[in-house]
Amino acid sequence: MTSTLGDPKDGRFQGHFAELLKVEGKLSLREPSGLAMGIGFPIILLVMFGIIGIAVPGNVAGTGHTVLDIYVPVIMVVGFISLGISSLPVTLVRYREMGWLRRVSTTPTPPSRLLAAQLTLNLVLALATILIVIFGSELVFGATLDVGVPYFVLSIVLSISVMFSLGMVVAALAPSQTIASALSGGLFFLSLLLSGLWIQPATVGGPLATIMYYSPSGAAAQAVLYSVFNAAPPVTAVVTMVVYTGFFAFIATRYFRWE
Amino acid sequence: MIRTQISDALEPLHNESEPVVTVQHLVKRYGQFVAVNDLSFSIKEGEIFGIIGPNGAGKTTAVECISGLRVPESGSISIHGLSPLKDRNAIRGFLGVQLQESTMPPRLKVGEALRLFASFYPNPADPDGLLESLGIGHVKNSTYKKLSGGQKQRLSIALALVGNPKMAILDELTTGLDPEARRETWALIESIRDRGATVILVTHFMDEAERLCDRLALINLGKLIVLDTPEAIAAQAGGKRVRFVPSKPVDDKTLYAIPGVKEIERKEAYVTVIGAGDLAASVIDSLTRIGVHVSDIEARGGNLDDAFVKLTRDDTSKVQERPQS
Repeated sequence: MTSTLGDPKDGRFQGHFAELLKVEGKLSLREPSGLAMGIGFPIILLVMFGIIGIAVPGNVAGTGHTVLDIYVPVIMVVGFISLGISSLPVTLVRYREMGWLRRVSTTPTPPSRLLAAQLTLNLVLALATILIVIFGSELVFGATLDVGVPYFVLSIVLSISVMFSLGMVVAALAPSQTIASALSGGLFFLSLLLSGLWIQPATVGGPLATIMYYSPSGAAAQAVLYSVFNAAPPVTAVVTMVVYTGFFAFIATRYFRWE
Repeated sequence: MIRTQISDALEPLHNESEPVVTVQHLVKRYGQFVAVNDLSFSIKEGEIFGIIGPNGAGKTTAVECISGLRVPESGSISIHGLSPLKDRNAIRGFLGVQLQESTMPPRLKVGEALRLFASFYPNPADPDGLLESLGIGHVKNSTYKKLSGGQKQRLSIALALVGNPKMAILDELTTGLDPEARRETWALIESIRDRGATVILVTHFMDEAERLCDRLALINLGKLIVLDTPEAIAAQAGGKRVRFVPSKPVDDKTLYAIPGVKEIERKEAYVTVIGAGDLAASVIDSLTRIGVHVSDIEARGGNLDDAFVKLTRDDTSKVQERPQS
């Protein structure tokens, strides 16, 4: 067991995982709909809110922040929603439908490695979205954020986990690509609404605000909002995301099929 | 003496008593439907073992159980002494599988697919060399969706062979290929065997089975009907066949009265009689005597196709009769 690190098997694992990741990366560049949704959509939102922030320099509800400042967290969460709910499950269901997962499972490499490569690729894209939105909003549009790194990392990890695990539920339950697209399309717009993209929960108030705070994407946006102003994310938001992630992960692993 | 030494040295290579695959009492159901029903056979090292049978006979299910893709209800399978379920990883290292109805990401390039699969195996073949030997080296940089049907099949074979397998399972390999591509694929399968690998070939083409396979298992309704060499199975079709066109209609009674006739088949104007003896001569003789002229005569022995039809028909009618008795 002491020779595990030097084991040729280990090198082979890294070799084929790197190869899988490389292939998945190339495929995502050749079919850039996932990239457009995951990175392009947040960039468009960033530019829109950035221009609004400059044109209407303001002080939202006496907080001392501009519209862009308030929307930076939502824009990041929108990126996670696009990648996790749209891109990830539709690709996986497509692979299952075309027999690609099954084909891989006839080799010494388990098909779970292909799934891991897809997850890793989407994680990398999510990180790219975070960097673009944070630095773009600060350097290009002059947002005044005060990112509390530990709070931010916690909020981001939970937000990505909850959105990706919801996407995996779609991948597990949708029997065909058509149904996966319909299901993820519906969840996509519902999640955008609840994240506060159209109207922020603080503005709505009442029961809708409560629903938003306790929804996966609403809790994510709230936690990230606190963390970019160097405040601890609310316990309710953290607990909400942990509970949803656990539930989604349970359903996804329970019902996921390779063929 | 030298001869004895050589044959002693060669003996282990030609040791046919040790099967590399042993299937015993295999049963697999899908709900109420019994796809494979108490199937037993064994496969020798280095042979091309054919599995033939009508659609829905359980051929694909049987090989999917062998390759570990499906879990059988009962029965046992041993591959080089290993279990497809328990020793999954060990077996996958030396087993190449070509699946029926499996496609790949449309924008994946041929060379990329092969390099990817090569990275999965401990001792892979050279991807470029393999593509060249399969005659698809020139489409290395083409994406999957741009390939023709024959090129897709060859890529599928390449993926099954890139791990340098000791054993290859090829399922409905030539379905959908044009006659020329089929013949080229046959040559390929023979070259796999010539490399020393054992090949399990699932097919419903009799000419393919007759041409390629060392031994054949004929499966119908999930059961083994017969297992033998193609020649021996063809012989089971029994007797000679004489096909002709009579100048006017002849009824069955008249035909059965001809010496040697045991069975009669009719198709359009053609009448085929099956039987023994000097069949063609006695047919002409007897019919001329009653004023019927015979034209377009064709006489031949039974072949695999005849045996297949006969054996599956006999078996299916037996099963269908069972509920009544």
